[in-house]
Amino acid sequence: MNMHKIMSGSFFILAMTVNFGFFYGEPTVLEQHSSYELFAAIIVNLIATVLKLGDRTQLGAVLLATSIVADIQLIASATVWAFALYVINDINIEAATAIVSLSGGALLANIVSVILFVGDTIKSKR
Amino acid sequence: MNEQIVWIVLKRLRTPFLVIIITFAISILGLVLIQGTDNNGQPYQMTFFDAFYFVTYMASTIGFGEAPYTFNYEQRMWVSFAIYFTVIGWFYGIGAIVSLIQDEALKKALNRNSFRNHVRNINKPFYIILGYNGITKSIIDRLNGKDYRLVVLDKDDEKIDELILENFYPNVPGFVGDATNQKMLKIAGIHQKNCVGIISLFEDDMVNSKIATISKLLNKKIDIIVKATSKAQLEHFRSMNLKHVKNPFDIISKRIYYGITAPYIWLLEMWMYGHILKLKKRDQFPRGKYIIYGKGRMGRAIQEGLQKAGIEYVIEDFDSQRYIKEKNTTIFGDDDDIKRLLKLGVKESACIIAATQNDLLNLTILNKAKQLNPNIFTMARENSLDDLNIFQASKINKIYIVEKILADATYSYIARPLADLFIQEARKKDDEWAKVIVHMLNNITGMNPMYFETKLNDANAYALTLRLQKGENITLADLRRSRANRNEMLHVVFLLLKREDEIYLMPDARMNLKIDDELLIVSDEENYDDFEYIVNNIYELEYVLGYRDL
Repeated sequence: MNMHKIMSGSFFILAMTVNFGFFYGEPTVLEQHSSYELFAAIIVNLIATVLKLGDRTQLGAVLLATSIVADIQLIASATVWAFALYVINDINIEAATAIVSLSGGALLANIVSVILFVGDTIKSKR
Repeated sequence: MNEQIVWIVLKRLRTPFLVIIITFAISILGLVLIQGTDNNGQPYQMTFFDAFYFVTYMASTIGFGEAPYTFNYEQRMWVSFAIYFTVIGWFYGIGAIVSLIQDEALKKALNRNSFRNHVRNINKPFYIILGYNGITKSIIDRLNGKDYRLVVLDKDDEKIDELILENFYPNVPGFVGDATNQKMLKIAGIHQKNCVGIISLFEDDMVNSKIATISKLLNKKIDIIVKATSKAQLEHFRSMNLKHVKNPFDIISKRIYYGITAPYIWLLEMWMYGHILKLKKRDQFPRGKYIIYGKGRMGRAIQEGLQKAGIEYVIEDFDSQRYIKEKNTTIFGDDDDIKRLLKLGVKESACIIAATQNDLLNLTILNKAKQLNPNIFTMARENSLDDLNIFQASKINKIYIVEKILADATYSYIARPLADLFIQEARKKDDEWAKVIVHMLNNITGMNPMYFETKLNDANAYALTLRLQKGENITLADLRRSRANRNEMLHVVFLLLKREDEIYLMPDARMNLKIDDELLIVSDEENYDDFEYIVNNIYELEYVLGYRDL
């Protein structure tokens, strides 16, 4: 057991749970999705990515890859939101669905990441 | 960029990235939560985008002003906290990246990469030299860029710095690395097709042996030129099938043997290493009793040479380190020492050899002996090249510098294979034969001729190979005609001809030449230039052969 393992492990899982919190709700109704939750999801995901940097193992590389996918999805989701709000000046159903489903994609990447992480933990002898 | 470097960089960037993300996140969140006032005095809430935009230019100290509306005091209080918070985080991040660039581990990885690339880009055949010191430097000086390129590995980074400061042209790539580590040898290009050999001349026989074994396993095809100073080691290398074992003490032993028994063979050998082709009186080894001071590897090698030559000698077991410790001086010659010298018979002896490991002791031993017997012939071992001037000034008849002998032998093996071969063949002959050769060379080419090695192929003898390809018979005598007047002779002597595995010492002038014959030619620069013209230029060759007139 070491501090770094606890930190990174908790952030991997937190990235998934917070993301789920934002994703949960009617996809067409943006009022059911809190922008604070999206912000938290982005930050936690970025931190999880950084924690995976520099791991030379094969698993480390795959974890980093899934994490980067989640980041891209979430940042895209936030960008769509800002674009719809300020440039189009109207958050219609299409935009709302895009925002939520992009975070849904990120959630899938998070789930893959957590499965790999748990699998590795089970595989290790101690 | 190499994989490894990417990982080092990423790992180091973890903390700076974390710091930047967290400081940004907290500042952004604060701005979003605090209620602002718009231009009409109405309360409003900053969105995440507004906050992100503002924090981004605030943290990087660009500072476009307060947006979207002028801030109220609550916001300003938060922002003044956030400025310190994010700016410090941001600067820490930049600082970490800058220090990463200067990081030793990263630098090393980058250096290794560039070294590897340098080695990969060498397109000539090259040797790997292990250890950079006086010996290998003099090898590099003479060998670099002619037909070969060189690569250096040394454990000590100061040595590699020295190498870089030398500014060899073409560049000699060097890298800090343990030569006994096979990974380093691989990086130095031992697997490369154009790697012809590895030169390992370390003091320590064990290291040499280890390197020879590893290199042999890594690449069977390369030449391993290795130093061995003991009999057992020599046997070991022979059993490993290494042909090119250099033992400087063995060379000295042989030189002394030939110097005494066959001075002209000795002269031919020394001439190959830059001596003039004339036996001076002070060069001649005297006959009579020899005294050897020092019973180390050098002393024993000399002993062996003298024994073979059938010369009477005494060997004094003289340990320089013990002497310095006991007498607390490096000046030889108190009363005890003089008594000892007299007892060894310095007055009746013909020659004294100082072969200890201390240069100053060697000098003073010879000085004392000279005082006691002014006619005595003196020989000294010189251990470090730095003391060369003192030795030259002190009128010693012969100086043996182990480092230089080793460097010469290695160089001549690599760059002058025919000269090396010639010496070996000459040693099988007797002194009368050598005397005839020396006189003949003196008559034709003068007192200080040079020697050249050439291979009769397309690149070196274009015109000649054209004619030989047509099946024409051309003899050595044909090539010895002057291109100014074909009835006169060029001042060249063909000492040796090598055809595949056959060696012809002093080849017959009527001998027909074949393509790819290798020739050892003695001449001066002017005549050799003429020779090169003749074999390369179609018209010159036709004139010399008598097919056309001037």
